[in-house]
Amino acid sequence: MSRVVVVGRAALLAPLRPLPLAPVAVPAGFPSPAEGWITDELDLNEHLVKDRTATMFVRVSGDSMEPAGISHGDVLIVDRSLRPVHDDIVIAVLDGELTVKRLWISPRGVTLHADNPRYPDLHVGELSALSIYGVVRTSLHVFTSR
Amino acid sequence: MSSPAGSRRIALVDANSFYASAEKSLDPALADRPVVVLSNGEGAIVAASSEAKALGFETGTAWFKVAGLAARHGVVAKSSAYENYGVISNRMHAIIGQAAAAVEPYSVDEAWAFLGPRSDAVGIGRQLRAALLQNLGIPVSIGIAPTKTLAKLVNKHVAKRVPAHGGVVSLDDAPAGWLDAHLAAHPVTDLWGVAGRTGKKLAALGIHSMRDLRDADTKMIRKRFSIVLERTVLELRGIPCIPPDPLHHTKQQLMFSRTFSEPVTTADRMTQVMSIYAQQASGRLRRQGSVAKTMTVFASTSPFGQQHHSPVATVTFPEPTDNPLLIAKAAIAVLPPRMIPGYRYVRAGVMLTGLQPVAVQPMLDLFEPSPKARELGATLDRITRKAGPGSIGIGLAGLRTAPDWAMKRENLSPRAFTHWDELLTVAAK
Repeated sequence: MSRVVVVGRAALLAPLRPLPLAPVAVPAGFPSPAEGWITDELDLNEHLVKDRTATMFVRVSGDSMEPAGISHGDVLIVDRSLRPVHDDIVIAVLDGELTVKRLWISPRGVTLHADNPRYPDLHVGELSALSIYGVVRTSLHVFTSR
Repeated sequence: MSSPAGSRRIALVDANSFYASAEKSLDPALADRPVVVLSNGEGAIVAASSEAKALGFETGTAWFKVAGLAARHGVVAKSSAYENYGVISNRMHAIIGQAAAAVEPYSVDEAWAFLGPRSDAVGIGRQLRAALLQNLGIPVSIGIAPTKTLAKLVNKHVAKRVPAHGGVVSLDDAPAGWLDAHLAAHPVTDLWGVAGRTGKKLAALGIHSMRDLRDADTKMIRKRFSIVLERTVLELRGIPCIPPDPLHHTKQQLMFSRTFSEPVTTADRMTQVMSIYAQQASGRLRRQGSVAKTMTVFASTSPFGQQHHSPVATVTFPEPTDNPLLIAKAAIAVLPPRMIPGYRYVRAGVMLTGLQPVAVQPMLDLFEPSPKARELGATLDRITRKAGPGSIGIGLAGLRTAPDWAMKRENLSPRAFTHWDELLTVAAK
């Protein structure tokens, strides 16, 4: 059985740059005792996005990375500033198309691997011959949108 | 060079064919293809990729004149996707800001980066160029020099034109005598900030080349022209003296203007336009946490038509405001009555000026109609964010039917930064 730990409330719709809380004006002149203790709620952007200027959200089409936990329709959080290393899940440019694959780097060369065994691996000569759009940090899988 | 190496350096970072590069950054299939970006409505080329430029396509050309040729060359024409360009521009300036000691945004696709006295300016420039290319997909050219005027010159004349430099060039690396010869060989009107009219006046005084201007008497230049041109003279000598433009530092104005796909000829229609533009502008105000003191609204007929008219009106608010009701009401009150009936207006806009942060306001808003107004604005913004622009509005802007003057936006890229249902797709196959 899985265990669930509640870490707090997440502000799901928080803007990327939350506005600072304005000091509360109290006409009668008595400040609220809570003032000064008000802090921002947990912010998913802060949790999931390391470098805002290099982050793209992209939508998955297909099931070749299903075993990695990436399903058709999921949203991936891609960090374009990361240098890709062996076993990273990356977005590679193949024939002018953005493609999600696992990157395998070995002395024998570079392989773009699909975790789903129904799809073939693609062998590439060298990493420099490959255009990597970014590294996938997170997959967002929505169970219900109601 | 009068400034010794080891003193402060200024880098001009300028995106190459910014809008076309932005389009390429969102679609890898366009990587090596000629791409042009068209203005909305008018259909003129506003940006051409280097491949398109090599085929002879130039910024400013009317699209209908070259559309046939473009089809034969396989040129990809995209509509302007300003939401994407806005985000990419913001990110570009943020990345430059991380690399430099200080940054001064100069335009949507250009910024001055100030580099510390002991820094490896070219090294920083190369890293910055690589980061902008990898993280954003935007190629830039970087010119480095002791002054803004020289950095602009090095950028335009060397970094952009000589591919062997890899897009980053410092004047410090130029061979001895290069600058002097280069200034002598180029007309003064090629300089940043020297207009054609000034060029004619300078020519009458025997000042033709950039070097002539550099060697001119500064007192004479100030007396006959302006302190602005005197600064250019000093900057050509390597003395930095063009101050930051305060307008670019804090956003002191905010503009919302569009060209219509169908001309607007009636006051009713213009009322509808003003209502929507005013709400869009006030939404932007609230997003940047500002209030505006003054609003200017304007419209204009086509410069190519027979009847020309450009009504303009300025309104000063009793108190700085971001209230969409008040802003829309004022825009509607002043502009439509100034139209000439029957004239065909093709463009209109709302400009908010005298901006200040909300917090600077007096605590008690005696002149605001009611505290509810601020909540109304915030509520409108929330709904628009969730359901998309045009989903809700005040008064006439609340019309559900798409007005026929809405922008023509064919072949528009997905708004991948701003709309969840338009994200880029990655194939898992």
